[in-house]
Amino acid sequence: MAVSIALSVILLLGVEQLRTQARESFAQSISGTDLVVGARTSPIQLILYAVFRLGDATHNIRWSSFQAVVTHPAVAWAVPISLGDSHRGFSVVGTNLDYFEHFRYGDGRSLAFTAGHPFADIFDAVIGAEVASQLDYHVGDRIVLNHGTGDLGLAEHSDKPFKVAGILARTGLPVDRSVHVSLQAIQAIHLDWQGGAPLPGLSIPAEYVRKFDLAPKEITAALVGLKNRAGVFQVQRFINHYKGEPLLAVLPGVALDELWSIVSIVEKSLLGISVLVVAVGLSGLVAVVLAGLGERRRELAILRSVGAGPLVVLVLLAIEGAMVVLTGSLLGLSGLFAASFFAASMLEAHLGITLHAGLSPETLQLLLLVMATGFLASLIPGYRAYRLSLADGLTPRL
Amino acid sequence: MAKFHSTHSIQLAVFRLPGFFLLLAFFLLASPVFSAGSAGSPAPSGNRDYKVGDQLAPDPGKAKTRSASPASPGSSASGSAAAYKEKNWDDLMPRNWDPMASLKGLKLENLKDSDPRAMEALEKMREAWSNAPVEPALNGERIRIPGFVIPLEKSGNKVKEFLLVPYFGACIHTPPPPPNQIIHVRAARPVAGMRTMDTMWVSGIMQVRSVESEFGQAGYQLKAEQVTPYP
Repeated sequence: MAVSIALSVILLLGVEQLRTQARESFAQSISGTDLVVGARTSPIQLILYAVFRLGDATHNIRWSSFQAVVTHPAVAWAVPISLGDSHRGFSVVGTNLDYFEHFRYGDGRSLAFTAGHPFADIFDAVIGAEVASQLDYHVGDRIVLNHGTGDLGLAEHSDKPFKVAGILARTGLPVDRSVHVSLQAIQAIHLDWQGGAPLPGLSIPAEYVRKFDLAPKEITAALVGLKNRAGVFQVQRFINHYKGEPLLAVLPGVALDELWSIVSIVEKSLLGISVLVVAVGLSGLVAVVLAGLGERRRELAILRSVGAGPLVVLVLLAIEGAMVVLTGSLLGLSGLFAASFFAASMLEAHLGITLHAGLSPETLQLLLLVMATGFLASLIPGYRAYRLSLADGLTPRL
Repeated sequence: MAKFHSTHSIQLAVFRLPGFFLLLAFFLLASPVFSAGSAGSPAPSGNRDYKVGDQLAPDPGKAKTRSASPASPGSSASGSAAAYKEKNWDDLMPRNWDPMASLKGLKLENLKDSDPRAMEALEKMREAWSNAPVEPALNGERIRIPGFVIPLEKSGNKVKEFLLVPYFGACIHTPPPPPNQIIHVRAARPVAGMRTMDTMWVSGIMQVRSVESEFGQAGYQLKAEQVTPYP
């Protein structure tokens, strides 16, 4: 009995935990950024690939467009982001030093280094905490980037290895799973990919790349901070109406709200289903105890005959039900912790959602609600026993 | 014998459960699934009833006394709330400011069809709007104003910073409102469960930056002490 309640509690609390933590994790990922700029696409998609590294970019934007945004009088800072390459399944982010200075997350915290420093040379890379711990990299190690995304690593930029220059402190964001290199490096490793694949016979050794023009031509997206946050609509309009090429600027908060309003239907139906599962578990409990009453008629009658009032019988049965619900809930809670412990790394790897141990107040509320409902439900058999008369129990019915 | 009894009472149990279904209903209603957002948050009024460009009326409860105490049913600290002066969005435009000033002397009836001067005039007006001045007299005043919310800074379910604009859809569909029709709000306590284009009453201390400096454009900032759902 307790097991079925435990399983339903795991489902209910798991759905709720996942729901609130996914939101929190997404909301934590970006702070202090007023606009996210990219090629024209859906605002949600732009946010997903530029900030959360989910899905692929639709198109790049020109460096000249980025310059136009940077030089806009209302813009305080802009950080370029160039995506598309990977390193053993971790995404490679081409950017510049402004990234480490201006990127903010959570309550306005900035990125910190646990070891090393930002990239100084073309073939320097700064890796996130998760990359460092999973692949056991240290400052000074040499790594090879892959062309394109995915972790098969078939098309390698093996002729131009990078040196790990710095390791970032853990943030719980997609940053942990990224390898950061300079925009010039992105340009350099693609010099001999002009035909879309490494051309046989054409190979530009790493020591000669500096002879080429490594100024970035294209970036994927940009994070923009403004001098005055109230001016955001004017800059957004300037970018959206930019004559040079079609661009899109979105307010991250608005795009996230849009995303959640779409996802909330799924969330609510999931939560609704798990509430029903809990209800099924509890009604099973009630049915079993009620069925047991028939067997225990005599037992209860004897209790009554030695002096226990009907109220005592009610309390007795209510306590019994409450104990089962409590055991089930606690069992479910420990099951939930175990499940989230094992699921955490997988979720983080695939969706960039960080699960923390511990219950949010809403989840705790839900758990208490389950317990309260379970207790109230166990009053039903208690009440039935309360109504059974003494004589009824003592008179054998054949 | 007892076995017969027990099967009998299972049937009884199933058919005598109206109380249990009542409990079920209670559970379903009480669970946060069916209340928008998390429990305990100020349930913001949905924005489905507004069309693009819709504005909020001054306090619908007492439309006549505009500067009276705004102790709405939702506000808790009625003592300090009484100190807020209720404003509407027109009060944020300086009284003597005329966006049409640059168009003086232009008579539309004198223009020919597709006259370049007409477009020029429109362009001028747009520029005048985008450089709209602010009302310096509002600086330091404790005001209370209703508007639509555009979240800027979130942590979890809570919004710490947002923009308040006077009409629905201000950020997406139309040219942006002029600087004197946008208030940058920093909430003293983060507000839970607030979403884009929710309608809110915001009370707090107004800060006006009247000249464009290197720190940013002219504009309004509000240190919000209270954020309550509108109406």
